[in-house]
Amino acid sequence: MVNKMKIIAACGVMGLSIASFSAAVTAYDGTNCDAPGDCWQPKPGFPEKIEGTKYDPKHSKEELGKQQKAIQAMERRNAKRAEHFKKTGEWVYDISKLE
Amino acid sequence: MKINSMRFLSAIALALMVASPYTMANQKLDKMSKEDSNWVMPGGTYDFNVFGEQTEINVNNVDQLRPAWSFSTGVLSGHEGTPLVIDGMMYIHGPYPNNTFALDLDNPSEIVWQHKPKQDPAARAVACCDVVNRGLAYWPGDGDTPPLVIKTQLDGHLVALNAKTGKEYWKVEVMDISVGQTLTQAPYVAKDLAIVGSSGAELGVRGLVSAFNVKTGAMEWRWYATGPDEDIGLADNFNSENPHYGQEGLGQKTWEKDAWKIGGGTNWGWYAYDPDLEMFYYGSGNPAPWNETMRPGDNKWTMTIWGRDVNTGLAKFGYQKTPHDEWDYAGVNVMVLTEQEIDGEMRKVLTHPDRNGIVYTLDRETGDLLRADKLDETANWVKYVDMETGLPVRDPEYSTRMGHRSRDVCPSAMGFHNQGVMSYDPEQQNFFIGINHLCMDWEPFMLPYRAGQFFVGANVWSYPGPKGNREEGIGSGQVKSYNAKTGEFEWSVMEKFSVWGGTMATAGNLVFYGTLDGFIKARDSRNGELLWKYKLPSGSVGYPLTYTHNGTQYVGINYGVGGWPAVGLVFDLEDPSAGLGAVGAFKELQNHTQMGGGFIAFSLRGQGPFDDLSVGEYKPNN
Repeated sequence: MVNKMKIIAACGVMGLSIASFSAAVTAYDGTNCDAPGDCWQPKPGFPEKIEGTKYDPKHSKEELGKQQKAIQAMERRNAKRAEHFKKTGEWVYDISKLE
Repeated sequence: MKINSMRFLSAIALALMVASPYTMANQKLDKMSKEDSNWVMPGGTYDFNVFGEQTEINVNNVDQLRPAWSFSTGVLSGHEGTPLVIDGMMYIHGPYPNNTFALDLDNPSEIVWQHKPKQDPAARAVACCDVVNRGLAYWPGDGDTPPLVIKTQLDGHLVALNAKTGKEYWKVEVMDISVGQTLTQAPYVAKDLAIVGSSGAELGVRGLVSAFNVKTGAMEWRWYATGPDEDIGLADNFNSENPHYGQEGLGQKTWEKDAWKIGGGTNWGWYAYDPDLEMFYYGSGNPAPWNETMRPGDNKWTMTIWGRDVNTGLAKFGYQKTPHDEWDYAGVNVMVLTEQEIDGEMRKVLTHPDRNGIVYTLDRETGDLLRADKLDETANWVKYVDMETGLPVRDPEYSTRMGHRSRDVCPSAMGFHNQGVMSYDPEQQNFFIGINHLCMDWEPFMLPYRAGQFFVGANVWSYPGPKGNREEGIGSGQVKSYNAKTGEFEWSVMEKFSVWGGTMATAGNLVFYGTLDGFIKARDSRNGELLWKYKLPSGSVGYPLTYTHNGTQYVGINYGVGGWPAVGLVFDLEDPSAGLGAVGAFKELQNHTQMGGGFIAFSLRGQGPFDDLSVGEYKPNN
């Protein structure tokens, strides 16, 4: 059951924080929230978005996608191993022996 | 909130299909964990109290502890964690190459079986901080599937071994070293699932937690720390009792563009499990890269205490301790489950000493934040935690940012507490916490992401905190007794070096721990008085365990200096900022200990299996 008092209290605090956000020009202390769980703000002199600024790391999309490709490939191989184990009772790690 | 319907339904179906056998296996392990003769999981029991009920060794006789027997693993580097003891057998793990040994406690001079995996040595090059491993898991078997010892390998494999023979039962790929992913964690068994996390946030690895069916090796669920909600696995009632923590969409909204794909949040620490609630608990780690300027936003859900349903893995609550981390305060540390009377009400709680220098107590059913106390008053990045919002109120003086060297930030990136465990005495109702008393300078730099390469973006110089001796590089550790009901520290002592491995307490009013410079020590857990110590062959980054065998209580510990604090010693580094800032902090360590690797068991007067001189002797046939 949701604790209504807690929500009201939290909303009250958030409301105050959001109200103070518009006037926030001081250093980031993590308490001025746009929404619950979203309380970051740029430090003085730093941009809200780094894309196109001198802080843009210009990541390669290809590099960013490599982890997920690796994970999906492992999941496929593991599924084949488990399927073979289910059928035969023998665990074969080497995928080339299952194809 | 949208949940990936196929994954969600399959997870529910799994839970329903196997509810009965799950419960049986779970109860068996739970029961075994409460026997003095066993140490069946890293924390001893599901609640991770790291506590021995035995009183044979106590404050009145602990000075008579002597070595009973020892075992060399034949491997150097950091020996984190502690072995398992199950039905008269000890299972010993080790750092890369992650050999595992089974020893019969009636005659530990003969190795019953050994598992020595062949791994791609390239795994060593993508290990963050030495090539450590934190331990093993055990599943007790049923009529069809044998008992299993389950281990992780640095190269990213999760392997189940037949506990009787050491033969591989199944072996799955969890991580891929070619993209910087590794495994260093002790896996965890709850019900019939082997739960395992991920390592590699220093290489931009996106954290995940997975569960594999112990009987079949099939993956049952997998959830991430960052990204779309359907990847993170949020239950329909996620944070419904604490909506101010945040709820939907934040795994993407709190990152700029696709930064969540390389945003870290790995979990390589410890798990705890509540069999009644069927929930397990752990912390996700630091966002990547360390350079905060490169990742605007709160970076959900890194740095989060998770409460997840074990059957589906779906999260009931998530509390982010350090939004938009600026200091590498990876939130993976231990969760200890207790029942405490807080503000006049008995509550099922979890207590978590975080790297950020705060010890948190949450209601583990709801995620309610009940306490947040500084582990040491010298923590300065945060003024206090607002108990209404759960937000840390930061002191901007100790923030980090591009073009600026932040100085005297406490804790250091290594945290006031790191991978070490924390023990709890249910009678005293006190926690015993090993502390790293370390602060740092921090200076970020820009770098591109390349899969499989280090992605840190900060130079760090760690050094002893203000209570230590910064010039000589000593005074970087503490041990403290903490009462979660009052928030008071009942005693505190300084140590020469960080108390990295953590503590183990017993009903004999004792708290044991190892030190980096190579001592195992016993203190009176009521007042901190030092009662006994023994110099080990090498420094310890593991933690003690206790078990009773053939009527004798033993206390044992891994030795083998290494891990993050000792990377300078292990790899012979001198630049104080090397080793992600650890080398300078522990420059003096090499004058106290050198590498080694093994386990020593102690008992009163050293009594043990070799009191019978015939044990281990050659017995001629004629």
